Amino acid sequence: MHILPQKGDAMASRPLPIAAQLIYARDLLRELVSRDMKIRYKRSVLGIAWTMINPLMQILIFTFLFNRVLPLNIPHYTVFVFCGVLAWNWFQTSLYLAAGGITENRDLVRRPGFPVAVLPVVTVATNMLHFLLSLPILLVCILIDGLPLSPAVAAFPLVLLVQFGLTLGLAYLIAATHVFFRDVQHILSIGLSLLFYLTPIFYTADRVPAEYQQLYLLNPMAQLVSAYRAIFLQGIWPDGGALLGVAIFAVALFALGYTIFVRASYRFVEEL
Amino acid sequence: MQDAIVVDGLSKRFRRHGTQPARTLKDLLLGRNMRRSEYFWGLRDVSFSVAQGRTVGFIGPNGAGKSTLMRLVGGVGLPNSGKVRTVGRIGALLDLGSGLHHDLTGRENIFVGGIIAGMTRAEVARRFDAIVDFAELEAFIDSPLRTYSTGMQMRLAFAVAAHIDPQILLIDEVLAVGDLAFKQKCLERIKKFKAQGCTIVLVSHESSQVRQLCDEVIWLRNGAVNAHGPTELVLNQYITEMEDETRRRTPTQAPTMRLPMGTELRLNQNRFGSLETQIEAVQLLSRRGYEVIEIDSGDALQVVIAYNALQAVEAPIASVSISRPDGSICYDTNTAIAGQTLPTGAGPGQTVLQIERLDLAGGEYFVNVGLHERNWAYTYDYHWHTYPLRIVGGPGGEGVLCPPQQWSLEARREAQLSAEVAGQ
Repeated sequence: MHILPQKGDAMASRPLPIAAQLIYARDLLRELVSRDMKIRYKRSVLGIAWTMINPLMQILIFTFLFNRVLPLNIPHYTVFVFCGVLAWNWFQTSLYLAAGGITENRDLVRRPGFPVAVLPVVTVATNMLHFLLSLPILLVCILIDGLPLSPAVAAFPLVLLVQFGLTLGLAYLIAATHVFFRDVQHILSIGLSLLFYLTPIFYTADRVPAEYQQLYLLNPMAQLVSAYRAIFLQGIWPDGGALLGVAIFAVALFALGYTIFVRASYRFVEEL
Repeated sequence: MQDAIVVDGLSKRFRRHGTQPARTLKDLLLGRNMRRSEYFWGLRDVSFSVAQGRTVGFIGPNGAGKSTLMRLVGGVGLPNSGKVRTVGRIGALLDLGSGLHHDLTGRENIFVGGIIAGMTRAEVARRFDAIVDFAELEAFIDSPLRTYSTGMQMRLAFAVAAHIDPQILLIDEVLAVGDLAFKQKCLERIKKFKAQGCTIVLVSHESSQVRQLCDEVIWLRNGAVNAHGPTELVLNQYITEMEDETRRRTPTQAPTMRLPMGTELRLNQNRFGSLETQIEAVQLLSRRGYEVIEIDSGDALQVVIAYNALQAVEAPIASVSISRPDGSICYDTNTAIAGQTLPTGAGPGQTVLQIERLDLAGGEYFVNVGLHERNWAYTYDYHWHTYPLRIVGGPGGEGVLCPPQQWSLEARREAQLSAEVAGQ
């Protein structure tokens, strides 16, 4: 009864041409991001406005605290803190959501042919969209404060790209490890709340004592926040050397995260 | 003919999970890691090939490895050894609802679902009307999915999945959903895929579906290929063996039991099974809880099964059927259908089936009860035609059903009118 396979005629799965694959990847990403956006706001009255309300509240509190309660004497504090809060929220929310990104999409992971590696990209991209949607308010604040918009704004997409790569690399690492160790989410929430204070979001980096400066600036988010501020607040080009350093780190992290994720992804099905 | 699927020496090992699905840091710190885990082979050295355009069915009891094999063929997961080679775009009809979201409209879900299933946006857009048409949901397409009935959701999901054009199609138990008419439509659709030269792999528990669709069948047992050959041959062998398994395990010497009503339970006559777990008493109770042998048509009935597991058995299935003296079965149900299991372990236990209305036509019936191995591999104890039940009332005639009914007499309006016109 046992019919053995006829070996010999070697064959390989014929993959789709690269162009078709790219079109598919683009469509998949676009559709999943738009699904996430729709789901998040579909049944709320204010809808997409919540994207802006959340950072606005944070900024209001920070402005009140550090202009009135504990004055830090930072000029254009609203714009200053806005840059920090927006960049940080993108980073933090992406990582939080990436942790559950695999475990909460069990049915997609178990689906033949579904490219699991797209899930962390969707998470980071969705939150980047929230970041971008809040930008107009930042621009309004800049105009109110009478700050000029310099040509340095041209560097913005580059900084965005570096942060995207950095966040995605971490997101891959976190998403993959969380499948095997469900503690990751807890560790992450502690880690992120500590890192929030170690990033110059509501204060300036130069207040950190000189002996800690070197160490302090190893935090890539510190560099990125400074870059955003250079562009929007100071109207100067961001520090190229620092940005390059972060970019190299981001690429390395991305390569590591992606490799680990892909290796682990074969075992996701068993762990979910 | 070229092979579309070649599976060569495929083995897959799984960790037998305890209660906790994933390790936590605490386990790691306390050294409670993988070493303590038990392993079992979900698939062992499975080899076969499927020629292009053929439809192959995987059969076997639950846990035999059918779904695992299916997913590995689909490229989900990594085998411990062996290789899977497939030629062509793979489509899957598994976990139909995956990716659909309740707050999105039918239209939005078709796009998301279609793209998740492997189509590009343009392809979905091109097939959109056909999908909606197939699902018969034109009127609801812009309502959120949460307003759909389960049947409508399944129709939408199947319609999306049915419009990919795969060269290899994997189908896992999805034909068990939906109403009869839609099920038929799904079957027709699958036959159409087949006619187009699509290679199909099907997992189904319904032997009639396997018979209808498959050219060949692979019978899996304990993760290994037990037989692979033409559908009729392997399927019949499988069915015979399942019955044999029960007969073989039925002990030859067991005391004949006399039931309170006077009927004798004799092994291999009206009692079958391995008797690892025994049905000790079966009571038929009326709505008020009195023991009855006769109820009115449409009354409630409780079937109380008291059993005793002589040795620890794992989550057995209890079944109840009602049959006529000629052996034709009018009603058949079990705990597995209801998604319930009896507790694992040894010792006495009891389970009760509550039938809200027994709308059977008046006549003589028997209530049959059984306890089965959790994967239906064989039967522990089965009492056939030993518990009589008389049903009183209901219409005479040939039928077996007697639902609440009412005839009303109304004169046909047109007939009256025309009669009046004719009279003038």
